[in-house]
Amino acid sequence: MIAPDWLRDDRLPHIYCTGCGNGTVINCTLGAVEEMGWKREETVFVSGIGCSSRAPGYILTDSLHTTHGRALAFATGVKMARPDLNVVVFTGDGDLAAIGGNHFIHACRRNVDMTVVCMNNHIYGMTGGQGSPTTPQGAISTTTPYGMSEPAFDLAELAVAAGANYVARWTSYHVKELTKAVAAGLQTPGLAFIEVRTQCPTNYGRHNKLRRVSEMIEHLRSHAMLVEKRDRLIQEGKPVPDDIFTVGELVRRNRPAMGVKP
Amino acid sequence: MKLVIDESRCKGCNLCVLVCPYGIFQEGTELNSRGIVTPVLDRPERCTNCRLQALYGRMLCGVCHMICPDQAIAWVEERPFEPHKVEVEF
Ligand SMILES: Cc1ncc(C[n+]2csc(CCOP(=O)(O)OP(=O)(O)O)c2C)c(N)n1
Ligand code: SF4
Ligand code: SF4
Ligand code: SF4
Ligand SMILES: [Mg+2]
Repeated sequence: MIAPDWLRDDRLPHIYCTGCGNGTVINCTLGAVEEMGWKREETVFVSGIGCSSRAPGYILTDSLHTTHGRALAFATGVKMARPDLNVVVFTGDGDLAAIGGNHFIHACRRNVDMTVVCMNNHIYGMTGGQGSPTTPQGAISTTTPYGMSEPAFDLAELAVAAGANYVARWTSYHVKELTKAVAAGLQTPGLAFIEVRTQCPTNYGRHNKLRRVSEMIEHLRSHAMLVEKRDRLIQEGKPVPDDIFTVGELVRRNRPAMGVKP
Repeated sequence: MKLVIDESRCKGCNLCVLVCPYGIFQEGTELNSRGIVTPVLDRPERCTNCRLQALYGRMLCGVCHMICPDQAIAWVEERPFEPHKVEVEF
């Protein structure tokens, strides 16, 4: 359940478009925070710039709405100065993987004790729908009018390779699983990275024949495949469809971490 | 417990319509005072959470509440003896 007393009631309704998945991700994150029983005074939300990064503005705790791509750098600073605080970062695919790409891999490498929730809508939502490093090949955006020709980043796999202690991926349709994954991330010492594939009906759906929110959700649902199922297909020597993405827990391990609560 | 949509928050995305296993949310047809077509509730007393939350002491189902991007779905305590629309099935 969303912790209602963690929301800034006076700021709602938020600025997100009708059917934007970011609101759902806020709900699930607050649901997980509620499960942890954290206090508002000891929790900090940090974000960069983008639609996704506006999330901390709707949450009634201290927060840092920082510069584009630098959320993880600021969050690392908070954690180093005050390891007793719980730090949660909201970020977008552009914020995290384009301009903030280096901060992302190094925060994972250092394994700074925080939880990073990335709302991956495959697009620069806020600035009008430019292609991002996660725009799927062939997808139309304002900067790829003939279809994206570059391959996309797999953010969750990137976090695994870079060393994060906990990595999971879900979508804004899988609300229960997502809430559980965020809670697991909050519990894990070290960097927990949760990638959430979300819908941006305004700037992604509209250009990619997914104008209706329900179509976007159906697209997410039908292209998500459990990691276990993917592994089973490989084991059995069966082909894995190439338009799917894996969901579930990708890694949970115990590498040395920085900034863990004393 | 009574299921309510906060008309001041709902943006009419109809995600709740998509996820409720009982089909309690139905796409609306009329604009509200904010110019938004919000869903209408079809016999909301069927909702698992309305019926059993008090008994189990925790939220049951609740997927509409979690997926609603606008934090518009909640449950409120019913006042005693609130009138209900009763449908008699033969
Ligand atoms: C240094 C800098 N460069 C560029 C911008 C413009 N800008 C604002 S938001 C954004 C992209 C955000 O994309 P993403 O992180 O995916 O967030 P979304 O809006 O999709 O949630 C860009 C390029 C900026 N604000 N600052
Ligand atoms: S532009 Fe896209 S990401 Fe931004 S609020 Fe609208 S739907 Fe959401
Ligand atoms: S999910 Fe929420 S915002 Fe969307 S139609 Fe239902 S009540 Fe309204
Ligand atoms: S809690 Fe479940 S059963 Fe109740 S209205 Fe929401 S989706 Fe339907
Ligand atoms: Mg984005």
